Formats: sequence, C-alpha cells, structure tokens
Amino acid sequence: MIIVTGASRGLGQAITERLIERGEEVTGLARNTSGLKINAIECDVSDYASVKNASKEVKRMKQPVKAFINAAGVASMNMAVTTDESTVQKLIQTNLVGTIYCCQLFAPIMLRQKQGSFINFSTIAVALALKGESVYAASKAGVESFSRTFAREMADFNVKVNCIAPGPIRTDLLRGITDAQIEKITSQQVIQKQFQKSDVCDLVELLLDEKASSLSGQVLNVGGV
Amino acid sequence: MNIKQAREIVISAINNALEDKAEITEDMQLIGGESLLDSMKLVEVCLALEDLADEHGFEFDWTSETAMSKSRGMFRSVAALAEEFATQSEV
Repeated sequence: MIIVTGASRGLGQAITERLIERGEEVTGLARNTSGLKINAIECDVSDYASVKNASKEVKRMKQPVKAFINAAGVASMNMAVTTDESTVQKLIQTNLVGTIYCCQLFAPIMLRQKQGSFINFSTIAVALALKGESVYAASKAGVESFSRTFAREMADFNVKVNCIAPGPIRTDLLRGITDAQIEKITSQQVIQKQFQKSDVCDLVELLLDEKASSLSGQVLNVGGV
Repeated sequence: MNIKQAREIVISAINNALEDKAEITEDMQLIGGESLLDSMKLVEVCLALEDLADEHGFEFDWTSETAMSKSRGMFRSVAALAEEFATQSEV
C-alpha cells in the first residue's frame, strides 16, 4: 500500500491517480474524503491527534506500507512584512509540522518492515530564495532539513527519505499568480520551462523504483537549480 | 496485566534486544548517555512490546507525547517502561 496525504486535490490527487493507474493500492489521507473514490482516511496533517488516529487505522490494516507521500500543503505568496500571523502559523503548522507528524507517526510501520520510502515535498523557492515567498519557503526549508536528518535516522532500517521540490506547477496553490510571474521564476531554473503535475508524478515513480534504492536524504529540484 | 507481569515482559524484550549480554536492572536508563540500548535497539524493544501487547489483547503506544521526554517519559528506566506497559494494558 502507498499512502498519500492531500489526496483530494492538487499534486496529491495527481500522484494518487498516477499510482492507481500503475496498479498500486493507494490509501489517501485528506481533511475531506467525501467524493474520494479510493480507500481514504479523514486526516488533518496539522493536527497531531488526527495523524495519530490515521496511523492507528493503517496499523490495524496490517498491510505492508511501501511508501508514504507527504503531498498535503498550503501556500501563500507574500512578502514577510505583509503576511499576517495566522497565515504564518498555518504555513508552518501544515507544511512543516504536518510533515514531521506524518513521518514520526507512520515511521514505526516502516521500521517494523525494515523497508519503505518517505517522499516529502519542498519547493524550488527554497533553493532560489524567491522574493515574495519567504514564509512559505521557510516552512519548506524546514521540510528539507528535517528530511535530510530523518533520512539518516531511518537509514539503518532500510527506509529511504527524499524530497521533491517542484517549481510553479499549475495547482490551486498557484491561484492568482500570473504567467509573467511564473516565467520570472522558471527563468531561474536550469531548465527554463514550466513543468506540469505529470512531471512531478514521474519523479515520484522514479523514487519508488527499485533502481532508485541508493537515493536517500536527497532534494530533487524540478527543473534544476 | 499487573506490574510484575509487565516488568517480566519488558525485561525479556530488552534482554532479547541485547542478546542477553547485560544484566537488566529496574533502574536502568533506556535513553540518554547511560543507556545500554542504542536507538536501533530501543526501536527493536518497542516493536517487540507492540507484538507482545497484541498477544495480550491491547495496543501499546510508544509514540505518545510522554514517551520521549527524558525526565518524565517511560524510557527513563526499565521500571517506568514496565509501569507504562501495565497501564496501557488496562485501557
């Protein structure tokens, strides 16, 4: 089984659909599971008790967990000085703390199996220090740092931890961002084009492949930096 | 489960992890500088206790908030872990 957070929309939804296409059994975690046509568990990743309940439910299924994909996230494109307190809290709580909760509470399942893979999500805004994304990038820089260290903690148990850091992918998170703004960002990538959700799904597949078993503690920047 | 049974189970799990190479005392620390268990061994003990709890019909939760605190947590000593194991068996 592969578990995907944020499975009801955006990248999480695209990844879920791709994995189902390739015949994987997927369990989606989402705040709102109504309408999800897969095995799903209601879960708010920013809430410790909610993640804990979800992990208990998965444990009771007594099925091997091949991978855990932390795709749930929120974004806010703003200068730090114009970002209100609640937005700061929400970004850190969902993107960083939510990823930590999911990793720490689902890790025991993989420790027991002595195999598995966590795929966490950062953003290219971290490596490029994109203006107007300071708080969002800070939350994701935390995810990168956590993932690199967590990878070392999991390595003895044959559990891999990697990050994918997409650039501006067309999802709900990019609402209100103009094409000109997107071009300004993509022009800073090594490959200067806007990538799509399908490109990110390809990287997820790559990380799940046996041939990527030597990769852990890595951050894959989509488009390159 | 009474505390005596819990203590026997916990000590047996630790003995298995340490391959019977050390004498386990009730005040032995399970985390920190004086612990005989490294982090991998501690995880092994916790997973073994999960299995043993399952055999006794309850769920053992070692990821609780108090578990990882050195001063108050259940890993501060063998006795504390046994006490927590017994407590969780009653829930």
